[in-house]
Amino acid sequence: MDSTAIKKELIKILGKDKILTEELDLMYYSYDSSFLTKLEPVNPTAVVMPRSTEEVQEVVRFAFENDINIVPRGAGTGETGGCIAVNGGIVVDLSTWDDIVEIVVPDMQVIVRPGVIHSDLNDQLAQYNLFFPPDPGSSKMCTIGGMVANNASGLRAVKYWATEPYILGLEVVMPNGEVIMTGGMKARAIKNVSGINLTKLMVGSEGTLGIITQIRLRCFPKPKARGIGMAVFDKLDDAPATVLDVYQNGILPSGIEILDNSAIKAVNDFKPHINLPDAEAILLFEVDGTPPGVNYEGSIIKEVAEKRARSFEWSTDEKRMTELWEGRSVTATAAARVRADGSRIFAGEDISVPLSRVADTLRAIRSLGEKYGIKVVNYGHIGDGNVHTAPVINPENPDEVEKVLQLVDEIHLLAIEMGGSTTGEHGVGAVRRRYAEAEHGNAVDYMKKIKAAFDPKGIMNPGKVF
Amino acid sequence: MEFKELPPVKEQLMKCVRCGKCRSVCPVFAEVKNETAAPRGHVFMVQMLRDGKVEPDKKVLERLNMCLMCESCTINCPSGIDIHELNAAARSYIYEKNPNTVKELLFGTLWTHPSLLRTSMWFMAGVQKLGLQDLARTLGLTKILPGDLPKAEKILSAIPFRCARRLIPEINQAKGEKKYKVGYFLGCGTDLFNPQVAVATVEVLTRNGCEVIIPPDMKCCGLPHIANAKMDTARELADHNVKLFNSYDFDYIVTDCASCSSALTPKNMMFLLGGSEIEAEALTFANKVIDLTKFLVDVLDIKPSEKGKVKSTKVTYHDPCHLANAQEIKEQPRELLKRIPGVEYVEMQEANRCCGGSGTYSVTHYDISMKILDIKIKSAMETGADKIATCCPSCMMQLRHGVARYNWNCEIVHPVELLNQ
Repeated sequence: MDSTAIKKELIKILGKDKILTEELDLMYYSYDSSFLTKLEPVNPTAVVMPRSTEEVQEVVRFAFENDINIVPRGAGTGETGGCIAVNGGIVVDLSTWDDIVEIVVPDMQVIVRPGVIHSDLNDQLAQYNLFFPPDPGSSKMCTIGGMVANNASGLRAVKYWATEPYILGLEVVMPNGEVIMTGGMKARAIKNVSGINLTKLMVGSEGTLGIITQIRLRCFPKPKARGIGMAVFDKLDDAPATVLDVYQNGILPSGIEILDNSAIKAVNDFKPHINLPDAEAILLFEVDGTPPGVNYEGSIIKEVAEKRARSFEWSTDEKRMTELWEGRSVTATAAARVRADGSRIFAGEDISVPLSRVADTLRAIRSLGEKYGIKVVNYGHIGDGNVHTAPVINPENPDEVEKVLQLVDEIHLLAIEMGGSTTGEHGVGAVRRRYAEAEHGNAVDYMKKIKAAFDPKGIMNPGKVF
Repeated sequence: MEFKELPPVKEQLMKCVRCGKCRSVCPVFAEVKNETAAPRGHVFMVQMLRDGKVEPDKKVLERLNMCLMCESCTINCPSGIDIHELNAAARSYIYEKNPNTVKELLFGTLWTHPSLLRTSMWFMAGVQKLGLQDLARTLGLTKILPGDLPKAEKILSAIPFRCARRLIPEINQAKGEKKYKVGYFLGCGTDLFNPQVAVATVEVLTRNGCEVIIPPDMKCCGLPHIANAKMDTARELADHNVKLFNSYDFDYIVTDCASCSSALTPKNMMFLLGGSEIEAEALTFANKVIDLTKFLVDVLDIKPSEKGKVKSTKVTYHDPCHLANAQEIKEQPRELLKRIPGVEYVEMQEANRCCGGSGTYSVTHYDISMKILDIKIKSAMETGADKIATCCPSCMMQLRHGVARYNWNCEIVHPVELLNQ
């Protein structure tokens, strides 16, 4: 079926208001936040914006019957090209479907449609003293559907882990148009080990197994207090050693972040008023819970950190906590400021390594940057070994583009070599699928078999994950 | 200068990491809900233009024009990109290749000649007074107007017969001891649609020791021209006003219009005149420009007396984007209102959310503009206020239209009007 016929049929199914067909409009769906799509944006055949399970079903049935690829998309904030129709097809933009269906306070859960924005959800839950703990850096723009599809996490994964443990059940439109409910048809229970866990299988499957149209999420009680500690180190190795010491003293902070020397410089260049101390590394600890608990944990972290740190500051004052955290909050974009004609690119940006290898990894990345003559800014969630690397290049210089692609290739392979993963929380998408076999070996064959069982025609988000 | 060599295009475009934060704060995206209306989409399209991947044609312009230039995206961009400037530069580039006679007449001729503009508005006021606008509506004649005008013409209600220029002399002496010599940048919106605001501004300033001069040859600030892709005209206007105001020896140049003061900031002056022969002069001029409420609170520190106590009234405040976003002026208008005896100040939810007016946007994009306005009016209604105060004639016009849509008996005022009661 040619693209004109596809567009006509989709208009028949959804009406003109929920579909984009003009080539110019389709260009707006050729990118996400990845470097890949900066280099090679790919237009879909059409974009649809369904607002009900039935509408999604009709679109998927039509695609299934006519062997047309389907690519689910949230807010397009991903860094892997995961929501791009790299092999052509219909992009299903779910970001407009943003209803909070029900906040079930007595059962400590909430039911949402996929387009709900993470921070909006937590704003609503706060009225009931509840929260959905995973805390991605893109909280103000990413959708819950996107978080589920990528099993996203973020700054508080140390204590609260990723999205997956909070997903109690899903409504999914399967690749043939059938609708299933995972986690129990009528379930409102929190614990459930009945049957093969299809919920777990769907979470993090990046749109390759079906389209998630409704999500039942577990909520936690919202902590009443928090505190922030900043430790400044003259030696890089002292930072991960302190993290381990904190754990061994019985403390599990909600977040532990690192900025290495490159990130500290970038932040100070970008926002001089932040004025981070010049150091080899800075650690930021976030603790939450009850007020006495937070103060106790803060005192232990202080005692432990001061064994190695040049300085340590602890605060539970809202204003001061915001100031202490500000450097970390701007790092992702501050990176671009390390050179005037530079652009921070999202590639090789999400490796995860064992805690014991973080310092070695940061040093190795620094060496790789020097090898290719590319500035690399490092920061990330050291509490769980998730390192964010930010290469900065002039993307309009083909020589630099070629070199940075080699650099990020080496960074991904380095992560595997260190006993880690090519991605800790951003996903595989189109950009990291080439490492699937190096990372998973013959387990990839079984991933493919599962995919084939769910999606025999291979229409669901092809060209992703493996 | 070639499009790709323009400073925002050359220096800022590459900084965009497409994180999408701008999507979440854009009032237009919140209504249109697809990427073609997202600021990130606009930045992407500017890049496509620069790289020659799309033609500079009307279709691209139509999409870029979806932006109402509220600058929410710019102040929230983690990469520090002036997204609205990129958009304005691209619009102008496309327009130069696709000029339009109506726009040329409106922005190139009418809006650059204040006397012509005033005469036109006087004529319009006459049409309204004679009931011809109502008659045209009744007969369905307004339906033949182009674009969104058949719907949007309702926004233009009750144009005053006498503009501010006809009510206020050029030179207004300070009452009592003279503290400052002030140039009053009387914007078109205040002059033509809200002359009572201009009268109040001059009265309050002179009463507080300012000699107020309105240079007779001043022209529009150029903001409507920037928004409507007439960048060259905006530059000509800026050039004219810089030279004119610098020929006086003003201590301050005060304006009660948020759009004017935002167009006259050093940053915007550099956007228009940076690198030109009068760059330094433009900065001298821009550094004297100050919003009226900021001037009254920060410089004059006025303390209204109980004598002038207004009849007890509940007032809420709407932040004009060009004041709150473009200039970060949020506290002074509120502070001013709170200082007025008799005013009970009440804050509305999302006071800094755009009202959808944005100059000509409510005329060119009426339906989207009304959806944005509805949210604003609902927030304001929840306060139970008798009056909505704001510092921008475009917002005032839009809010008046909004309260009329809801049959809400609420007055729209500039804070200086309450101060002068």
